[in-house]
Amino acid sequence: MAVKGVSFSVERNQILGLLGPNGSGKSTIMKTIVGIVKPDAGSITVQGVNVAADPIGVKRIVGYVPESPRIYEFLSGIEYLDFVATIHGLSLDTKRERITEFLKALDLEGRENELIHGYSQGMKQKLAIIAGLLHRPQILILDEPLNALDPRSARIVKDLIHRLRDDGVPTVFSTHVLEIADAICDRIVIMYDGRVLAEGDAEELRSKAGTAGSSLEEVFLKLTGTSDTREIVEALTH
Amino acid sequence: MNLRAVYSLAIVLTRSQVRGTQRNKFLARVFGEPRIILPVDIALLFGLGGLGYALLSTSGGGGLLDLLRPIEPELLAGIPSAIMFMAILFGVLYEISQPIQSMNTDLVNWLPITPMEYVGASTISESYIYSFMACLFLGVVLGPALALGMASVWVAAAFMAVVALFAGAAVVEVLDATTNRISSSFYKKSGRSGMVFRLIATVILLVFIQLLFSGYVVGYLLQSVMQAAVSAWFIPVVWPTLAVLGAAQANMFSFLLFSSSSIIFAVALFGLAATFRGRFWVPVPVSIKLSTRAYQPRQRQLHIPLIGAVESAMIQKDFRSLTRRREMARFLAIPFVLAISMGITLLPLGTQQTAEAPSFMFVAFLFLMPVAIFVGALSMTSIGQEGYAVWNLYAAPISPTQLLRAKLLFATILGVPFAIALLSIFALLLNTVGTYYGILLPVSVLVVLEVSALGVYFAALFPDFREMVRSRYVSVWGSLMGIGTALAVSLLTVAPLALSIFLYGSIVPQLAIISFGIGLAVFIVALRLANNQIQRMFQNIQT
Repeated sequence: MAVKGVSFSVERNQILGLLGPNGSGKSTIMKTIVGIVKPDAGSITVQGVNVAADPIGVKRIVGYVPESPRIYEFLSGIEYLDFVATIHGLSLDTKRERITEFLKALDLEGRENELIHGYSQGMKQKLAIIAGLLHRPQILILDEPLNALDPRSARIVKDLIHRLRDDGVPTVFSTHVLEIADAICDRIVIMYDGRVLAEGDAEELRSKAGTAGSSLEEVFLKLTGTSDTREIVEALTH
Repeated sequence: MNLRAVYSLAIVLTRSQVRGTQRNKFLARVFGEPRIILPVDIALLFGLGGLGYALLSTSGGGGLLDLLRPIEPELLAGIPSAIMFMAILFGVLYEISQPIQSMNTDLVNWLPITPMEYVGASTISESYIYSFMACLFLGVVLGPALALGMASVWVAAAFMAVVALFAGAAVVEVLDATTNRISSSFYKKSGRSGMVFRLIATVILLVFIQLLFSGYVVGYLLQSVMQAAVSAWFIPVVWPTLAVLGAAQANMFSFLLFSSSSIIFAVALFGLAATFRGRFWVPVPVSIKLSTRAYQPRQRQLHIPLIGAVESAMIQKDFRSLTRRREMARFLAIPFVLAISMGITLLPLGTQQTAEAPSFMFVAFLFLMPVAIFVGALSMTSIGQEGYAVWNLYAAPISPTQLLRAKLLFATILGVPFAIALLSIFALLLNTVGTYYGILLPVSVLVVLEVSALGVYFAALFPDFREMVRSRYVSVWGSLMGIGTALAVSLLTVAPLALSIFLYGSIVPQLAIISFGIGLAVFIVALRLANNQIQRMFQNIQT
């Protein structure tokens, strides 16, 4: 998905939600921040480090969880986390302590020696989240991180993001689930067709859409011009 | 049985297999639809048949016809058994070479499809996909059969070939369901040792299959089968062949007996496959537990200069990839296949006296070629084999130089022991190699380094991250250029030494130095090329 003219900033102590329908360019922006996608124009700075000038430096401080992460399925969960921790240069003691903590917190304890190939989608997602957080990143880039998670793990991840935000670790968080954006994010950027349609907190967005007091879903549908859902449902049920 | 469901599923399975093996976009578009197989079959059958008949009908064809007359019945009779054998072989190979990610056909587990319907669809699909083999063989023998007045025998052979193809496909279904259950239960209980066992079994199977496809062995087998077919009448696999032989000898009783027995055998196999599928199929991927011990992180850093913790971790990961992924086992089979093939070639030369012994250049080429091919295959696929999980490397703080070192060392660690082992085997077989062991050993190490670096360059230049059946991990063009260059630099490195022996009968130090100088120069240039290319790859990431 091509994105054009997108510009926003994320402050410390802030969770920024990228909200948009499938194919609106959310994942492309996140990959660009991590340095996986190279922009044709413009620049991205993460904690003062320019992504184009020092991609490795940015990767050291970013914690990234991609949408539907593909993990090395021939490794066991623990081997994968050990690999990621080693790449990030964690010491033996730190590795052991953090991996054990995360496995316990996300209910993967006891399954860590199994090959990832046999994991469920939710377990793979948990593993990717742990891998993204292991090195205590200075900024989190989370692309639909709650996909496939069970309610308890989703709650833990949400609380963790809030806690990290309070500790000064900002998060860019993408989702197309409006309730999640409403519950987690401090500020929301609404994207559509590779462009930014609106930006602000939930109240600001409501006033921009002229739908004061309405739900975020109505704001979103109004701003993206996709509020013709009733007709579609009518057509489908006839 | 819902025949409409069987038909629809057969089309889907055929599409899945045909599209899953096509890498080229044009070919994928042309051969992406199952319906293209039918005209290809017709073209093979009648094109080859017509061509053969036209050739044999000309004035010069008489002599050839006389040669073919006594063997044509045997050729026709051999086709059904050959088809069954090849259908089983290709079916098993397809199962082996499927990447771990595409092994689960989830859809059939939740749609209302009975085991019988699934086996029916899968058998039809496989028979249809491999029908080109039957048409190829039948097309080749059609011309002589018409010219020799054996059209009726050809019709019998064609009919039995169809039955054999179906039976072969049913055998694959039986094996699929059985191995699925056995391996699931086995891995669940055995963990890591189960994986080692699977690796060894797969490598042995691949080596066996590769050797089977060498012309010498195939010729020998065909001859043996034909000789043994009559005496082995009680073995169902040879019944289609015996039916055709009966038709060729105008023995109606024999034809009817063995053809009907063959049909009953094929139907029985089909029923067995459906029963096994219903009873043994395990739809959920098995969880393989590698260890029951609590996690103890260890610092497994390789104590090699310039190799840090990051490179060590990547090398360790690549070793696990090579030994745990079923589709990667073919790379481990390469050294065994090459060593055995070269051994077979060299064995008759070993007894020759010094004066008639093969030249240094000949044995050096015979020795360095497998080394270059093995190391080239490992290094050229080292980046593409990351598959879609490559984002793990792209998103991690790994520098291009670290990636280069890890991939280079991975190929070298496996390449050097292989070179030493192969050279030792050759030295046992050939006096010439024994004499020059001391010089060939360092040359081979240098070749391993050169080819590893070049291989990583081509791996980064032409990576293929697609996860499909028989994934190449490097583009066709890249692999051709890579192997060509690897062989060329191997020869270039050894050329001054060969010249020295050719001109002076021994190794002249100056020419040996030139040889090592060439090797070192190629290695340095290849390293630079690889480093630059990996940097470019990181800058232009394809996601």
